[in-house]
This record gives sequence, C-alpha cells and structure tokens, in this order.
Amino acid sequence: MKNRTKRMMCAITIAAMTIGSLAACSKSDSNAAATTTAPAATETTASTPAAETSVLTSGDIITRAAKSGQVGNWGLGNEYEVLALLAKYGLPSEYLSQDFTMDGFDDNSILLASAMTYNELGLVKNSYDGGYKYGDSVNIIDMNDEGVAMMEDNIFCTKTFAKANPETVAAFLYASLKGWEYAVANPEEAAKICYEYGSSVSPEHQEYMAKEVAKLVSTNTKGEKVTEVGLMDDAAMQQTLDIAKQYVTLADASANAAFQAMTLDDIRDASFYTKAKASDGKFAVEKPEVSIQLKWLPDAQFAGYYCALKLGYYTEAGFTDVKIVSGGGDIAETTAVNNGTVDFGVTWETNLASADASGMDLVEIAQIFQRSGLVLVYKPENFK
Amino acid sequence: MAAVKKKIGRPKPLRQRIGENKSWQKASAIVLPLALGLLIVLIWQTELLHSWLDTDTFTLPLMDKIGSIMYDNSDKIWANAVDTLKVAGIGLAAGSLLGYLVAIFAALLPRLGQGSLYVIGAFASIPVVAMAPVLNNWTKDVSSDAAVRSMVSKILVVTLICAADMGLNAYRGLTEIKLYSEDMMSIYAAKKRVVLWKLRIPNSIPYVFTALKVSVPASIMTAIVSEYFAEKITGVGRQIRENIVLAQYSTAWAYIATACVIGILAYVLLMAAQTILLKRYH
Repeated sequence: MKNRTKRMMCAITIAAMTIGSLAACSKSDSNAAATTTAPAATETTASTPAAETSVLTSGDIITRAAKSGQVGNWGLGNEYEVLALLAKYGLPSEYLSQDFTMDGFDDNSILLASAMTYNELGLVKNSYDGGYKYGDSVNIIDMNDEGVAMMEDNIFCTKTFAKANPETVAAFLYASLKGWEYAVANPEEAAKICYEYGSSVSPEHQEYMAKEVAKLVSTNTKGEKVTEVGLMDDAAMQQTLDIAKQYVTLADASANAAFQAMTLDDIRDASFYTKAKASDGKFAVEKPEVSIQLKWLPDAQFAGYYCALKLGYYTEAGFTDVKIVSGGGDIAETTAVNNGTVDFGVTWETNLASADASGMDLVEIAQIFQRSGLVLVYKPENFK
Repeated sequence: MAAVKKKIGRPKPLRQRIGENKSWQKASAIVLPLALGLLIVLIWQTELLHSWLDTDTFTLPLMDKIGSIMYDNSDKIWANAVDTLKVAGIGLAAGSLLGYLVAIFAALLPRLGQGSLYVIGAFASIPVVAMAPVLNNWTKDVSSDAAVRSMVSKILVVTLICAADMGLNAYRGLTEIKLYSEDMMSIYAAKKRVVLWKLRIPNSIPYVFTALKVSVPASIMTAIVSEYFAEKITGVGRQIRENIVLAQYSTAWAYIATACVIGILAYVLLMAAQTILLKRYH
C-alpha cells in the first residue's frame, strides 16, 4: 500500500513539474514579447507629430541608439570607427558586444548594429540561405560619409622579413595585386573561385561579397574611382592614424607613448609597391614557399589571393607554394606574422599600428581596401 | 644510559635530525614555497626562463612590467575583477545551494533523487564554451539592460557547474554514514527529519568542503571563460581575450596575473573557513 502511494506521488510530482515548466516557458515568452513591444509602442505614439515634419539625421539615430545603450560592434579591434563616431556626436564611448550573427539586430536587442557592406549587410538585406530578408527596408550610416573612415584590409609582413626578402615581398605583391585586379574586374568568377577554396558561406552570398569587395577596392573614402589596386593613400592612412591616436588607449604606458608618437613612416613602406608596379613580372624570389594569414574565414573578402592562386599568378611570379591560412574570431593575424608562423598577413591599419607600438615589428606593404566597409545598420521603424 | 644508546645505533645523520626538528618542520612549510617563488621570480626576471622556453619579453613580459601596468591601470583592473568576482561568487553560492538541496532530496528519496543527481552531473560535463553562448542567447529576454542580462547568463553557467560538484559530493556526505550511528537512530525511533538534522547534515560538512575546494577555483575559471561570450564587455577573462587579439601581451599578462591573484585569495579564504568550521564540528 505504502509503495503504491509513493509511486502515485511520484507520478503526480513529475506531471506537475512538466506542466509547470511548460507553462513557465509559454509565460516567459509572452512576457518577453510584451516587454519588447511595449517601449516601441509608447515611442511611436509619443513622436508621431514630430516624425511627419522632420526626417531624422544620422546624428539623431546614433544619439537615440547610444542613449539606450543599443549600439553594437564586435570589438576586438573593429570598434574604433564606431567610437570615433560616438565621440563626434558627443556620446559616451560604450557599445554592446555583437556576436558573429545578426540575430541581435533581428530581435531588436541591438538597434544600431555594425555590419560590413560586403558581408553582414548582405545577410540582413538578402533572402538567400542565411539571409534575414529585410530587403531595402533597412537604412545604413556609412563611416565614409561621416568622415570617420579608417583603412581596413591591407597586406603586411615583418620589417625583418621585408629586409631579408625584398624580391619575395615584391613578387608576392605583384601576383596578389594581379589577382585583385582580376577579382575586381570579374567578381562573379572570383566568387566561384573563392567558393572552391572551402568557403564558409553560400555561393549566392559569395557572389554578393565579391561584388561589394570590388567596390571597396576600387573606390576611395570620398567616393572617387581608384584605378591602382593596392595604392597606399597617405591622406586616408593619416586620417586612420589620427582617429586611432584619439581613441585607442593602450594600458601599457610605454606602448601608449610609442603609439602617440607614431607616424605613417613607422607603419608603411611603399617601396615594395612601387617595385611591384614597375616590374615586368620576373622576380628572383629568395623564399619560394610563402604563406598569408587572412583576417577572417576564407571568402570573397580575400578574393584577390584566391584568384592569384587559382589562376597561377603566384607560380608565374616564381613561387612554388603559396598557402592561404584561414583566420577567424580569436586568431590574431598580427601575432601569427610577427612570430613567423606565416610570412604575410591581412589586417587593419589600426591593429598594425597598436601592435607595433607594443613591440611588434610589422610594416604595411599595400592597402587593398581603399575605403571603410563598415556601416551601422538600423530599422527605420525603431526610430520613428 | 649513554652506553645503551651507543649500542642501539649510530647518531642520527644531520639530515634526519633537521627533518625531525619541530620548529624546522613548521618553518619549512613557509620557507620552501617562498624559496621556490623567489627562484621563479629570479629566472623570470633574468630572462633565463625566456631562453628555456624559447620566447621573448614581448610574448612573456618581465614581472616588473606586468606589475607597473597593474599599478597604472589599477582602477580599470579592479572594476573588471569585481565583475568577475560577482559572477563567480553569486554563481558559486547559488550552484552550491542548488546542488546541496538536490543531494538532500536524493538522500531522502533515493529512488527519485538519484536520477536528478545524474542529470546535474550530465550538465557539468557540458563544456563551458558550449554552454556559455547557448545561455547567452537564452537569456536575451531577461532584461533590456545588456549589463544585467549578460550577468545573468554568466551566473547561470557558473551555477550549473558548481551545482554538479556540490550535489555529487554532498550526496556522499549525506548517505555514507557510519553504520552503527544509523542503526542507533533507528533504535531511538528517530524521525527522518531528525536523522537529517542530527546525523546526515553534520556528517556532510567535510564533504561540502571537498566540493568547495574544487568548485571555488572552478567557479572563477567558469566565470572567466563565460565572459568571452557575454554581450557586455567586462571582466578579467574578457580583457585577456581583447588584449591578446589586439597584440597587447603585457596588458593581457596583467589581467592573467589578476586572475591568479583572485583564484589564490579565494582558495585562502576557503581554507580559513574550513579550519574554523571543521574545528567546531569535530
């Protein structure tokens, strides 16, 4: 008898727990929905008269998103343009850590989300596999228009390596730039080539990326056409360095002092670029086997290198083996190049400058992206 | 007497005499670890360590450099350390409490309860790097303030890890009782409640400390790892990551040192608490 009551009790408790937990789930869901919709609803009613008369400027958008603490960025060195923009409008330099999806933007926990024109923005807008299907209903704030653009993807190596292997560096640049020229002229073919080399994204998105990347390589921050791929534009690089000096504070006092004293000549060397441009394509390479560390996963952001590899440009320039090493999340390309794991790398100017300030020996040899690919994307209905 | 002593054996060698000396035994407990510490400082600071490990002062900065960065940025480091400690502390308390309650439940109703022990045991075997991003997404609706919701998600991860540890250990403490004492309780016709209060719980106290010895350092480690995935950028672990990716190794080392200090201090506190509490019970 006693055993039976025990068993009954057990069954009842288990049933109660299951029902309870299920009920709790549904309740929390409806609560969540209520909390997320509630502020939006009050905002719309409050500002309807104003919205009809005036169009919100990007300053208004940023101010509102920053006041509610909902500006997103990935951090890890990608945040300086956003910090500069916040400072431009006199806002506190705080942002939310964005993960490598756009879910936060989708569920409105981030009102003003960071996106690269050639990657996340395409995912937000487009409706192919992995896309969020927003189409043209979203608006963007462009860093180039706001005057806080910083120079992104470049090619760099260590100063020691460049000094010891000048022909190798020039040859690598020559072939890579040729690859980039091809990728800019033929984005569709470039996308296919990238996809072959173990792409992390779908073929459709790859093609979108290749087209957007081509724009970054051939347009400068002012929107003017750039015909010379890889050109190091001193004015744009100086602007990057100036913004960096203003917003990057290195905790190590001696490194910070070195960073503040840094000039363009400390971080870039145009001689290899000139040499590659003037060359007839024949080099006496000192090191026929080289490798390049990407800043991110293999995709059309690095189309030029994959094209050069696939179309045999590296072989023509005298290399027997070129390895393209995938990056991602926590892989520090500066460290990989500095400690000799790889010979070349792709990074952003600020990362290179701050790494050099803290004791690394890196030098930029070409600037692939001529304008900033970073935008802040928002849904206009959140700001009505 | 002297003659007898001579017959028994040779005088003890110096090493043995020193070894048996009470005051040396006491002193050596302090002196030897201190000497080891000094030795490490010495080989680190003279860069002997760097040549053995085939590294440079950029990757492994000298101690005085790490110290000066910690001193220069003490405000920022303190704020980050407090955030990490909050997560570890609250998670540890909540997890240990949860684990202990499950253990009591399991001890009182063995047939039902043992299953729940397996369940939290299974939770603890999920790697933190897998659990943290999941919980981070899961807690998005908790609060509109990112600081609050990332705090909650981090605490939940620590709670789950600590609960398993406490549950499994406390269960042993509550059930592995000296046979005669359990028999005696049944002779006295003691109720289950009384057996729990007078016998099971006091018996479980040493086991609780065994669990804590593992879960105090584990809570700090878990807090540090779960910070990697949080929305709000704060905490000692997150700063280590940010600084390493930005190639700021000396700053990263300053935070690594901070993490070590936090871990050691927490362990010292635990040992002190154990000495005081266990004296009272036994």
